[in-house]
Amino acid sequence: MSLLRPGGVAWLLAHEMRLSFRALTGKRAMGGVGAMIGLAVLALVMLSGGVIIGLALRKLDVPVIPLSAAIALACCATAFTLMLSQTMAAASEALYERGDLDLLFSSPIAPRTVLFVRAMGVATGVLTVFLIFVTPLLGPAIILGHPEWLGLFGVLAALALLATATGLTLAMFLFRLIGPRRTRTVAQVLAALTGAAFFLVSQIRTLMGERASESLFQSLAREAAEGRMKIPPVGYWPLLAMLGEPLPLLAMLAIGAGAFALAALSLGKRFADAAAVTQGAEASAARPAKGRDRAFAGGVFAATLAKELRLILRDASLLSQVLLRVLYLVPTAVILSRNAGHGDGGAALAGGAGVVVFLAGQVAGSLAWITLSAEESPDLLAVSPAATRSLRRAKLAAALLPVALLLVVPLGLLLWLAPVTALWTTLGAGLSAWACGLINVWHQKPGKRADFKRRRGASWFATLAEVVVSALLAVTTGLAVAGFAPWAAIPLACAGLAMLALRRSDEQIAKVLRMA
Amino acid sequence: MTEALIVRGLDKTFSKPAVRELDLTVHPGELYALLGPNGAGKTTTLRMVAGLTKPDRGSISIFGVDALADPAAAKAVTAWAPDEAMIYDRLTPLEYLEFVAGLWNVEPRHAKARAQELLETLGLASEARRRCEGFSRGMKQKVALAGALIHDPRLLILDEPLTGLDAASARLVKDMLQARVDAGGTVILTTHILEVAERMADRIGIIAGGRLLAEGTLDALRTQAGQGGGDTLEDVFLQLTADGAPA
Repeated sequence: MSLLRPGGVAWLLAHEMRLSFRALTGKRAMGGVGAMIGLAVLALVMLSGGVIIGLALRKLDVPVIPLSAAIALACCATAFTLMLSQTMAAASEALYERGDLDLLFSSPIAPRTVLFVRAMGVATGVLTVFLIFVTPLLGPAIILGHPEWLGLFGVLAALALLATATGLTLAMFLFRLIGPRRTRTVAQVLAALTGAAFFLVSQIRTLMGERASESLFQSLAREAAEGRMKIPPVGYWPLLAMLGEPLPLLAMLAIGAGAFALAALSLGKRFADAAAVTQGAEASAARPAKGRDRAFAGGVFAATLAKELRLILRDASLLSQVLLRVLYLVPTAVILSRNAGHGDGGAALAGGAGVVVFLAGQVAGSLAWITLSAEESPDLLAVSPAATRSLRRAKLAAALLPVALLLVVPLGLLLWLAPVTALWTTLGAGLSAWACGLINVWHQKPGKRADFKRRRGASWFATLAEVVVSALLAVTTGLAVAGFAPWAAIPLACAGLAMLALRRSDEQIAKVLRMA
Repeated sequence: MTEALIVRGLDKTFSKPAVRELDLTVHPGELYALLGPNGAGKTTTLRMVAGLTKPDRGSISIFGVDALADPAAAKAVTAWAPDEAMIYDRLTPLEYLEFVAGLWNVEPRHAKARAQELLETLGLASEARRRCEGFSRGMKQKVALAGALIHDPRLLILDEPLTGLDAASARLVKDMLQARVDAGGTVILTTHILEVAERMADRIGIIAGGRLLAEGTLDALRTQAGQGGGDTLEDVFLQLTADGAPA
C-alpha cells in the first residue's frame, strides 16, 4: 500500500503543503525566483550573524541555575504567546475561509482527518516561521560546539503543537459561546492581544507606576541576584530540554503532541459542523447599520473619507493586525507620559518619544497601504469624474485620522507634564505618519485587503522606505527631546532627502498603476 | 444632433490585437446591443469608452466631449457597470450609493432620495442597511446597477447586465432599461442572451476578432447576412460571425 494513499492523512498533508508552497512562491515563475533570491540573501545575512554568535558562544557552558531556568521559561512564554496569536487567528479563519473546505467536506474523507491535516498545516506554518529565524542564528553555534542545543528545536516543535491545540480549542469554544458572527472578530482581537501579551505583561508594572523603566528581565535578574528566586523542578524542564536532556525534552514533546492529537481528533466533527454554520452566517445575522436618518456625505473628499473609515472599522482581520501595532504604540506613549510625570531622565524620555514617532509612522503606513493600494473597486474610482488627487487626499486622511485619535490622549497628558517633549513628539509623530502615508501614495502597489496580514501585497521597497524614514524621524525626535536639537537636523535632513528621492509625480504613479 | 457616442478607428493590442479599426456610432435615446463571441473585443471596447483602458489609436466622443482629451467631462455623463459588480462587501447598499454619489458630486439630499428610490425600484429597500457581504450575485448586480444610475447618466454602459439575475430580477432590470431609453436615455450593452438584444435593442452591432462585422436593426442585419425575414437573431449572428471569423 502506498504511503500516500488517496484520502489518507499523509496524502492530504502533501496536498496542503503543495498548496502552501505554491502560495509562497507565487503564480509567476519570476515572482517565485525573486522570492527565493530574497530569502536566500536574508538567510545569508542571518547566517553570518549566526556564525558570529556561534564563535562567541563556543565556550559558553549554560549553568542550570534559577536565573537560566527563568530566562528559558520567559523565552518559552514569549514564543508560546506569539505562536498562540498566530494559531488562534488561523484556527478561526479556517472556519470562514471556504477555499476547498466545501470540496473536502463533500468528499468521503472523514471530517476529523480534514481537521487533523488543517491543524498540522497550522502547526507546521507556525513552527516554520520560528525555524526560519532560529536556524540560521543558532545553527552555527550547534555545529561549532553545542550539539546538545538541538533540543531547542524540539522545544519549539512542542510549543507549536501546544499552541495549535490551544488556538483550536479557544476558537471552537468562542464559536460555541458567542456564535459564528462574533467569533471571527473576537478571535482576531484576542489573537492580537495574545501576540502583544508578553510585551504588555512586561510593561504592566511600569504602566501602573510601581517602578518606572524596569523591564521584566531586569526584575528577574534583580530577584536572582538577591537569592529570592524559587523555581519548582518542573520549571527547569524547558531549560533542560533546550540543553538536550532527553527526559525533559521527551516530556515536553509528549505534552505538545498529546494536546495536539486530543484537540485535533476530538474537535473534528464540531469543526465540520461549525464550518458549515459559518457559510452565510455573518451576513444573514448582520444587524442593520446604524444611522438610519443620517444625511449623505457630500463631495468626493467627504464621501471617500467616510467610506474608507467604515471599511477600516468593519474589517476584523485588519483591525486585529493594526491593534497589534497599537498595543505597542499606546503603552509606549503612556510610559513616555509617566516618565515625564516622574521627572525621569532625558534618555528615557528621548527613547520613548522616538519609539512613539516610529510606531506612529508604521501604523499610518499600514493603514495607508490599506486605503490606497488595497482599493477593492479601483474601476469604480477610475470611471468616476473624481480627481485622483481628491481621492488620494481623502484616503491619506483616512489613514492618518486613526493615528491622531490614538495619540491624542497620551500626547495631551504629556503636553501637561512636559510641554516641550510633547511638542517634539507630536511634530515627529505627525511628520512620521504623514511621510509614511506619502510613501504609500507614491509607491502604490495594488493588492488585496486580505493580503494585509503579511503585507504580501505591499512593495518591499515602500515597506523598507517607511522603516528607514520613520526611524530617521524617530532619531530626530529623540535628539530634540534629549536637548540636542541642532544635531537633530542631520537625521531630519536625511529623512527629507530620502523623501525627495522617493517622490513620484502623478504621471509616474499613473504609469506604474497602469502596468500593475 | 450630437451623437451619444462616436468611436472612430479604435485600436487596442494587448499580447495580440483585441480591437482593430473599430468605428461605432450610438444615437441619443437608443439602446445599442454589442454582440460577439467570447474574446471578440466587446468588453475591451466598452472599457475604452468608459475610460478604463487607454486605446492605442482612435478617438472617442461622448455627447460631443472628446473622452480622451477631457476624460473627467466625459465620465461625468457616463456610467459603467461591468459583469462583476464593483461594490464593497462591508458597506451597505445605502452607504455604497452615498459613496458613488459623492464620486459624481451629486447633491447629498438629492442623492439620498434618489438612492432610496432606486433601491425601492430594484427590490432592495429591505436590504438597504445590511452589508453586501452575504448578498447573492444577482443582488450585488442590482446594487451596482443602482450605483450606475445614481447620478442619472446620459450614457449607460453595461457589460452583461443580466448575468446572475433570476427571471424576475432580469425582467425588472430590462424594464428599467427600457424605461430609461423611453425617457431619452442612451444605453449600450453587451449580452450573450440574444433574445434580449432581439427584443430590446434599437440597433445591434456584431463584433468578432476586434472588428465590427455588421451593424443595424435586426432587419438590416438579416439583409447583410443574406437571410430571410423569418430568421432569428441567433441565425443571423451565427452566420455573420462564421463568415467574419478571423482565420
